[in-house]
Amino acid sequence: MTEINHHAFLFDATRCIDCRACMVACSVENKIPMNKTRIWVAGLGITGEFPNLQRETMVYHCMHCNAPDCLSGCPVGAYSKRDDGPVEYDKNRCIGCRYCMNACPFGVPHFDFDKGLVDGAFIDKCTLCPQRIDIGLEPACVATCPTDALVYGEWTDLVKEAHDRIAAHPGRYIDHVYGETENGGTSYLILSHVPFSELGLPNLPENPINKVSESVMEITIPFALSWAAVLTGVAAGVHMNNKKKEANAKEAETYDEKPEETK
Amino acid sequence: MTNTLSRRDFLKLGTATAAAAAAGGWIQPRAARAAREAGLLDAAGNGYIPSMCEMCVWRCGLLARVEDGRVVKLEGNPEHPHSRGNLCPRGQSGLMNTYDPDRVLTPLIRVGKRGDGLFRKASWEESLDLIANKMLEIKTRYGPEAMVFSTTHCLTQQQFENMMYAFGSPNYGTQRSLCFNAMITAFLLTYGVEEPARNYNNVDFILLVGRNMMEAISTSETSELSHAVDRGAKLVYLDPRYTKTASRAAEWIPIRPGTDSAFLLAMINVIVTNELADCEFVKKYVVGCDGIKDAMSRYTPEWAEKITGVPAATIDRIAREYAAARPNSLVHPGWRTSNFLNSFQTERAIATLNALSGNVLTPGGCLSAEVAAEGAGLGAPPQPPYPRLSALRLDGTPWKYPLVPLKLGVFQELRDAIITGQPYQAHGWFISRQNPILSLPDRNKTLQAFGKMDFIATVDIIMNDTAWFSDVVLPEASYLERYDPILPVEGKAFIRQPVIEPQGEAKSTLWIYKQLGERLGLGDYFQYDDEEDYLRTQLKPLAVDLEEVKALGYAKMPEDETKGEITFNTPSGKIEIYSETLKNAGFSPWPTWEEPPVPAEGEFFLLTGKVAQQTQFGTQNNQLLHKYSDEPRLWMNASVAEERGLRDSEWVEVTSNVGKVHIRLLATQAIRPDCVYMTPGYGHLSRGLKTAYGWGASDSVLHVTYTDPISGSQALSQTFVSVKKA
Repeated sequence: MTEINHHAFLFDATRCIDCRACMVACSVENKIPMNKTRIWVAGLGITGEFPNLQRETMVYHCMHCNAPDCLSGCPVGAYSKRDDGPVEYDKNRCIGCRYCMNACPFGVPHFDFDKGLVDGAFIDKCTLCPQRIDIGLEPACVATCPTDALVYGEWTDLVKEAHDRIAAHPGRYIDHVYGETENGGTSYLILSHVPFSELGLPNLPENPINKVSESVMEITIPFALSWAAVLTGVAAGVHMNNKKKEANAKEAETYDEKPEETK
Repeated sequence: MTNTLSRRDFLKLGTATAAAAAAGGWIQPRAARAAREAGLLDAAGNGYIPSMCEMCVWRCGLLARVEDGRVVKLEGNPEHPHSRGNLCPRGQSGLMNTYDPDRVLTPLIRVGKRGDGLFRKASWEESLDLIANKMLEIKTRYGPEAMVFSTTHCLTQQQFENMMYAFGSPNYGTQRSLCFNAMITAFLLTYGVEEPARNYNNVDFILLVGRNMMEAISTSETSELSHAVDRGAKLVYLDPRYTKTASRAAEWIPIRPGTDSAFLLAMINVIVTNELADCEFVKKYVVGCDGIKDAMSRYTPEWAEKITGVPAATIDRIAREYAAARPNSLVHPGWRTSNFLNSFQTERAIATLNALSGNVLTPGGCLSAEVAAEGAGLGAPPQPPYPRLSALRLDGTPWKYPLVPLKLGVFQELRDAIITGQPYQAHGWFISRQNPILSLPDRNKTLQAFGKMDFIATVDIIMNDTAWFSDVVLPEASYLERYDPILPVEGKAFIRQPVIEPQGEAKSTLWIYKQLGERLGLGDYFQYDDEEDYLRTQLKPLAVDLEEVKALGYAKMPEDETKGEITFNTPSGKIEIYSETLKNAGFSPWPTWEEPPVPAEGEFFLLTGKVAQQTQFGTQNNQLLHKYSDEPRLWMNASVAEERGLRDSEWVEVTSNVGKVHIRLLATQAIRPDCVYMTPGYGHLSRGLKTAYGWGASDSVLHVTYTDPISGSQALSQTFVSVKKA
């Protein structure tokens, strides 16, 4: 087995037959309750008019971003990013604020309304099966895929594999590997025959949104401190000025009669 | 008698499997090897046990992850040629069949009226005695032929048949005439093989005639076809619906239902008229080279255009593409081919096109006739010869259907003969692992046939509809809880073994049939002590120990020496495009066009076809599959629905000549305007199925019974329906 430094999936939308073996495998492997799922099918389904039709199916779950918005949006550090790929969620830290749900551009974290308060596990999402990958197994969804629409491996190998497929079959794919650069890169790479937006994937900049906000946030303290200094300076100036004014006023009093006081 | 796996056995198994792994027994590293390397098999008996799936008849190899005596996950066995490490959604869900809260876990004896679902728990002793006494009573009063036996494709089918033939009844109902009679009869008559195997390694051009391979999944074959398409093989697909297979095809041709054979005959016409066939192969191996040009002369692409609705130029082009790719071109024989009365001719045309491609039996050819019989090369317990059968078969084979192979039979005809009592009245029915109430066309008739019975006994793992209407229900152990006979696949003999102990009092059918056989005085036909003893007898010629097979999951079979010379098991020893046998029976010796009926104005063809998440009539109660299946709705072309003022997801009433159902509508672009479609297997009657009861509607209620006189195949798409707002 090749050493995996950065676990990743490659999903090929042209190969997916929407059989849902991945969904069942995930449900069983991770003991997901019967009314929940960590994988779902996105995309427009069948489009066009009879008989000119096409099908657009995508297996959707956590993208395991290199720069996870859930993590940067979480006020209590319930999320962490493993160096080798998986974005992990710690239910013991979570306070159920749902900031991660708003932050994630892929709409991945799901709030567990009926279990949250009892079990303390507020959020449910794909974990990349650490219990499997850490002992050299493939994630449950990948292991069972009958058409190899999902494959798993080292991130750099899969990026190369994806580009090789595009090169080998001109016209079959959109010439882009989604997730190679989107949002700073994701561990879920996607090949498609239709525009990625039709698969329900957002159009994201290479520079992740949270990096932009973080770059702003990073200067907030120095900015605040310097602003505080300025304000302090201003306040001091104003104070001095007021003192001055008071002194001048007193000086003036000595020259002017004060009719009210003298009355 | 023991058929349970004790905790000690688990321990033994764990160690043995670990040892086998250490010895390098596992070749392709996927789940299994990695798990072993990781030391997942521990002394507490937690680990992986190899066995075989039974969620459909493809029988993938599996590795069951067991923790503390419970199955927690199923993985595809990388070493099994049918799974190669993968399982389909049904295979992945298999453990929910075992852990279905609606399992029948003790023998049950009916106490209320038939169909009321009132049963009392009974002991095995009492239930088996009751069944044996009833069967013997019927035998004494009416003769053994008054007992009907029916079962569906399963690994203990041979033991079931053993009991039936030893009992002396010729009346046997299988699923075959509802499924693949047309395909098998046609290929037996043309090639002398039942179902040639497909090979996608070198294929460049594939034509699927309604074979929805991406939804009616056979894991390894679906995977091979998918990979062939990935590497650039051209896939052309005929189907009135835009299925998931259609979306993988280079060309989807929404052909008019019932006209596949016209399309194929026109392809043959183009190939023989323009001399595009593999002449060398054809001359050497085919009967009918001389006359075929004349026989096909009237089937021009222009003729076919009028019938099929497919432009003549398209048919001509596809025929030429097919011929240009030979011998790496393939027309898939199909699977459930019970569509129209002319489906037999469709299959004959498919067999012909493959012969013209020269793909048959050439090295690496796309079609191979070398399919070994189940159980070939294995041992079997000794048994006396069966008694002579003297009665006519109620299903009309062969006296009414001379060309239907005896092992296939005509189930729907058997059911009708039970109702009419002609040529004689049947009185008892023993059913194992089959659900004829839902699988046979025209459910009302099937219920009527049940009403004619003095006694009905059913073996199943859940309270399916047939069990619900039975007098005695025997609980079978699920496929994860029992042994079944060993099955050779591609040079290896694979085992199905219990990975957990049976729940309740459930037992294997190897045990049940033997117990019943002994009570019927037929003990000599069941000469094995228990399941393990039966398996040991099977393994004798291979000289391997059962323990080894249990640990590894399979035993290696000796090399097959018969490969080499190409022979076809037909009267001429060649491929018979022209068949004397058919001619002598009064049918057309050439593949020929038979006009199918068409729906009246305002009516639709009722199509049925598989979804990837369900198998036939037995998995709808599986909660995991229920969770990930779409709601079964009536597909109707969206434009047609709009014209008729029907809205998506509203309730509609669907009516045929024999029945009526209510179902929600799916208005979709993915179907021809003259068709509607239903997913089969829904609309269960049994209230003992808490997940499936009341969900969807049954296509069997609507299906009219039509039987092809040549193959005995039921014509399921020949039912026409009207649809209105419910």
